[in-house]
This record gives sequence, structure tokens and C-alpha cells, in this order.
Amino acid sequence: MMVRDVTAVTQDETVENVVRIMATQFLSGIPVVTEDMRVIGFVSESDVIRAAIPGYFSLLQSTTFIPDMSQFLKMAAKLKDKPIREIMTHPPLVVNENASLAHVADLMIKHNVKILPVVDEHGRLLGVITRTNIVRAAMEGYL
Amino acid sequence: MKVITVTLNPALDREFIIEEFTVNAYHRIKGQNHMMMNPGGKGINVSMALAKLGVSSIAIGIIGGYTGRVLLTELNKVSPLISTSFVHIEEETRENIVIVDPVNHTMTSINSPGPRVDRKAVELLLKRYEIYLSRAEAVVLSGSLPQGLTGEIYGKMAKKAKEKGRMVFFDMIDEYLTEALEICVPDVVKPDVRGSLTILGERLESLEDYVEAAANLVKRGCKLAVVSYEIKNDVVATQDGVWLISTEEKVDPENILGAGDAYVAAMVYKRLTEKNVSMLEVARFGYAAALAKTRKLAKEMPEYEEISEALKSCRLERLR
Repeated sequence: MMVRDVTAVTQDETVENVVRIMATQFLSGIPVVTEDMRVIGFVSESDVIRAAIPGYFSLLQSTTFIPDMSQFLKMAAKLKDKPIREIMTHPPLVVNENASLAHVADLMIKHNVKILPVVDEHGRLLGVITRTNIVRAAMEGYL
Repeated sequence: MKVITVTLNPALDREFIIEEFTVNAYHRIKGQNHMMMNPGGKGINVSMALAKLGVSSIAIGIIGGYTGRVLLTELNKVSPLISTSFVHIEEETRENIVIVDPVNHTMTSINSPGPRVDRKAVELLLKRYEIYLSRAEAVVLSGSLPQGLTGEIYGKMAKKAKEKGRMVFFDMIDEYLTEALEICVPDVVKPDVRGSLTILGERLESLEDYVEAAANLVKRGCKLAVVSYEIKNDVVATQDGVWLISTEEKVDPENILGAGDAYVAAMVYKRLTEKNVSMLEVARFGYAAALAKTRKLAKEMPEYEEISEALKSCRLERLR
């Protein structure tokens, strides 16, 4: 059920480049790997947004409390040249290629994530699995 | 993933089977089974042929726009043995159109040039390539290049692979080959002479020209050079000599689509699965794969058993 796309970045990649890859490939997140393709982190849209806004914003629940956008723009500009390791989720949440779909679904619900890297027994990237993949599997009776 | 296939200028292949096709006429396609849409480009074709032989590969390259997404979606359906990682750009990936006429035995191809690729996309691709090299045993560099790139990129990629001890296979036109060889010599080279009968700037006319060209590539450091000679024959040079591989079997020109890629994939397979195999045997197995492919009309890659069967029809003659 997984998508065998192993698009990934290394931890020294800039945030700007990672956002560019996510935007052009319509990805909501991307695995961060070592030189031998072991997954050591994961960057999601939420990680990038969280890094670009002041911490207390998440408590406000509404953008109507934001006085102006200048603070966000300044932080986004500062963020773009930083290495992705500074904002990635580490250690990452991953699933083994042999994990049951029920287990993967459980992890996605518990951790509220849309996409998970799939790895082999050495932790090396094999692909990704998305919520849509799980829903489709359920509809086809695989779950 | 044992093999990295690089397709810098992939294409969405549209194949139409039209009986008695003529130009300047109206044709209606018979049905869905007379029109096919496949992911294409030499490297991608090699990945698909390798999957048929049970070898896992990662197809990398540059795709663009809506056509690129369709291509990737189709490629991800082909086999679980194919992983992908393409850099996406905005300009559209090209479409290649092939019209096969099984009555008049003709094949009409229309290949478009592909998008313009910027420096940033190439840099991103090279970074990924270096990561994937850590897990691969062989690299296939083949096919045309998009606008803005020269054969230098093939040379650079080959050099990185050789530095890590990986086997390198080339299948490209002379313009790219000449530039790439200035930077790095591959293990196996199969120059693409379909458009221009030239190797390293030398025009190929007589059989002796082909022999000389293949032998020169080995002198430059290649372990094996395969040069296609009059469609169904190949001049093969190794460090032990030069041979002609041929068959008495009739080969229909409309069936040759993808045969060159089946050839390369089978050579990669042979080298990966039999470490002590001679380079001549590698070429012979590749030739048999291409022959097996030509027994099929569509761009469908051959199975191992079909290649083994075709091996029986291969004739070997020492030339030098």
C-alpha cells in the first residue's frame, strides 16, 4: 500500500529548499536521511509553520489575534537559510515495511500525522504511507 | 535497490497501433487496446525491464508539470521493485508519440525536446543521487538530455559512481558520450546510433568502421562496448577481441521500440547476478533480451524465460 517514492533530504538541506520540494511535489512532509538512507528525522508542514511563528501564537487558536503579518514574514525570512535539522522532528516516527495497516492507522491517529516514512530492518527509507493509502486499503478490505 | 537508473529527460510515451497508416489522412483508432500510455525515457524503460527480471531499482531524474505527475503515477503502478525519486519542475515533461503500423511494418516516432531545466533542479538531483549511490551496485546513465544540460552531467555522475566502486553503464548519443568520456569512462557503453551513425566524431559506414569504433571505446578503458549494426546485428568489443552477434530471425522494425533498453537492463542483470561472467556473455544475454523484446509488438519488456529462449537464436562470429 505504500508509495515507493524515496524522495528525501539530508539534515544540512536549507529550509527554503525543503519547502520548495514539498511545494512542487505536493508533499505534506518529507523524510530526512543520512548518507546511507537511514531516516533520522521528518519535516512536516506543521514543523515549518511552527518554526516561522512565535510560540505563543499556537495558544491563540485564531489569526484574528495577530496584530500584523510583519513578525511572521521576518521570521520566515530568517528561517529560509537555516539547515532543516534545526526544525525537523527528531527522532522521527517511522513504520517498518512489515507493520500491519491497523498499526500504521493507529500511529497516525495517535500522533495526528498525515504521512509516515516506511523503513526496512536497518531503518533505511523504502517509501512513505499516507492517510489516503490507509483509507483506500480499508475500502478495499485490507485493514 | 540494486540499480540507479537516471532519466534526465523522461517522457510520457503514447503508442498508437494504426493499420495502414499514412500521412495527410484521417485515422480512427480501433479501441483501447490499440492505444497505450506508458512512462518512458531510456532509464525508466531500463527500470521496467529490470523489474521483469526481478531486480529492484530506483528511477531518478527530473519531471515537470501535469504530464510529469501522470508519468510518476503510472510508473509507481508498474512494479513494487521500482522506487522513484524525481525532482519536480514547473515546465511540462515531454510526450513521445509512436505510431505502429503492423500491416506495412512501419514505426513513426515523434519525440519532443523536453523542458528547460534550471541549475537548482540539477543541484537537488545530484544531492539525491549521492545519497542513493550508497545503496546501489550499478548505475545506468542513458537517454536524451533536457534543454540546458550537456553530456558533462553524465560524466560527473559516472565519476561519482566510480569513486564509490559502482558499475556504470552508458547508453547515449555521440554528442553526450564524447563529452562524458572526457570526465569518466564507464564499464559498459552502448552508443545510441539511431539518429546519427557517428561514434566519437567518426562516421560509421563499413563494418570495419563499426569494429574500429567499438575497439576504440575499449581502448579508452571501457570493459565492454556494444555498437548496433544494421538494426539486428551488434558489434561487440571487449578486452579479448571483437565479435559480431546476429540472428537469422526476422526482426520487424515496428517491434524494436524499447529493445535497446531491454538490452541494457539484461546486461546489468547478468553482471549483477553472475559476478565472474565474461563481458562477451553479458553482451550476448543483452542481445537475446533485445531479440526477445522484438517478438512483442508493444513496449513490453521480456521475462527471463523469453530471453533464455531467444539466446538459442543468437549467432556469434569473431571479427578480430
